[in-house]
Amino acid sequence: MRLGWVFAVLVAAVLIAVTSAVAIGSVRLPMAGLVGWAPLEPAHQAILWNVRLPRVLLAAVVGGGLAVVGATLQAVFRNPLADAGLLGVSAGAALGAVLAVNAGWVSNVFLALPAAAFAGALLALLLVYALAHLAGRPTLHGLLLTGLAVSAVASAGLSMLLVATEEFRVKTVLFWLAGGLEGRSWPHLGVGSAFVLSGSVLLFLLARPLDLLSLGEDEAASLGLPVHAARLVFFGVAALVAGAATAVAGSVPFVGLMAPHALRAVVGPPARRLLPAAFLAGASLVVVADLGARSLSDRYDLPLGSVTAFVGAPYFLLAIRRSEERA
Amino acid sequence: MRGTRAVLHGVSLALRAGEAVALVGPNAAGKSTLVRVLSGLLRPRSGEVRLLDRGLGGWSREALAQLVALVAPEDAGASSLTVRDRVALGRYPHRGPFRPFGDADHAAVARALSQTGIEDLAGRPLATLSAGERQLATLARGLAQEPCVLLLDEPAAHLDIGHELALFRVLDEVRARGVAVLAVIHDLARAARWAERMVLISGGRLTADGHPDAVLQGPAAAEAFGVSVRAHAVPTLPSPLYSFEAGAK
Repeated sequence: MRLGWVFAVLVAAVLIAVTSAVAIGSVRLPMAGLVGWAPLEPAHQAILWNVRLPRVLLAAVVGGGLAVVGATLQAVFRNPLADAGLLGVSAGAALGAVLAVNAGWVSNVFLALPAAAFAGALLALLLVYALAHLAGRPTLHGLLLTGLAVSAVASAGLSMLLVATEEFRVKTVLFWLAGGLEGRSWPHLGVGSAFVLSGSVLLFLLARPLDLLSLGEDEAASLGLPVHAARLVFFGVAALVAGAATAVAGSVPFVGLMAPHALRAVVGPPARRLLPAAFLAGASLVVVADLGARSLSDRYDLPLGSVTAFVGAPYFLLAIRRSEERA
Repeated sequence: MRGTRAVLHGVSLALRAGEAVALVGPNAAGKSTLVRVLSGLLRPRSGEVRLLDRGLGGWSREALAQLVALVAPEDAGASSLTVRDRVALGRYPHRGPFRPFGDADHAAVARALSQTGIEDLAGRPLATLSAGERQLATLARGLAQEPCVLLLDEPAAHLDIGHELALFRVLDEVRARGVAVLAVIHDLARAARWAERMVLISGGRLTADGHPDAVLQGPAAAEAFGVSVRAHAVPTLPSPLYSFEAGAK
């Protein structure tokens, strides 16, 4: 069955990406040792378990989560180019996280950063929702424009905070904002996966309501879906997943756009197929992007967000052009 | 009320099982609004809608969706779901978000596809279909709901004559199973041929309600549309043919 082949390829891609990313780096780990055909020397084992594996797995989790959020928002907004960035989610998460850093909470409480990022993401989404509903039920355009406005305000708040932040912390914040997985280890993987994976599974399970929403508010309502409540649930879970991903990896743009957009043509838009497929594609994408971020320069780790942006922005422009041509 | 403007005033209407009602009227008379109020999408400022002797508020969302199907023009931006997926979503009121489809559901979907004659299109994405074909897919979705009331807003809008006749034949088949059908129809002659009852909405008010011949030949229709209506009895046809001329008498 064709669909089976597609998923097999996607899973294989993730496995290959993860294995390669674990092997390649400033120290090359032997493939034979990795797959278990030969014993791994203690130095390599240390690198594998303490450095490579958690980081690569985290890249996969972050990529998968961002892709699923993108696919979800695209269904809710009935626009194949919708993205967490458009609804203020990323900006809100960033603001929350920077607030936590600024207030010094992060040095005291480990979970302060992801919690603050999630809170920021959810607040941003709820704010967008509430503002857009002030004048009665909003149109889709109203929602998106409100998202833009909230993003702008969050970014402005962020800049103000940075000005007031001590210099040594500013560097931390800037590096984090640029996106990256350097220094991430098992605690980050644990917290990140807990939220991202549980949120993603929940979204997989809610595939049918998501398909209904993509038909339009009226049709969904006439088929018995409580449209506002459903939107709130999807927003909440999306904020949870995107907030957690942003908290551990900073801003990693365009993954939520590229993965679902590319897969939609292959597996079709039904959420029960697209969301899992997008998760796998997003995982491979970010694992490879992180590998690139580590390997492209000998001296620094490039920011992960820059790598995805360099690939994602041209893709986005191409996608816009194609959709305009088709229209 | 729509926004801050009252659209319908004092409209009172009753639908019976198996009935074929055509809702007619000039543009912006409030026909679409009325259909949406009947389906529960819009709540009336005053008065109420009752289904099977219970107010709409007394029905749960799922129960209402199982009983009333609304077939209206699509929102802009056709989804890229396939025809079959879209029709299958008509089973949502019966299955909810999690329960897998059973034989009854697959049968309902298959029946809806064959009744509307679009089985060949089942695997195609909606965006690749013509407007008329998408219309039929929406109708099939409504049929898959297996409702007891079918509300249609301009179902024949983009259909060629062949598909239009097929549409009304499907509506008659559905009525034979006891479903009450109310359809907003712009083509007055077509409405008169199909419906057993015609309701005229003009300026937000119900100005006529009765047999199509009586309504079309009555003063309310001429005034509402600003045309003069003439009925021509034709020996080979069971009901008269209508001609319309601009300018009321």
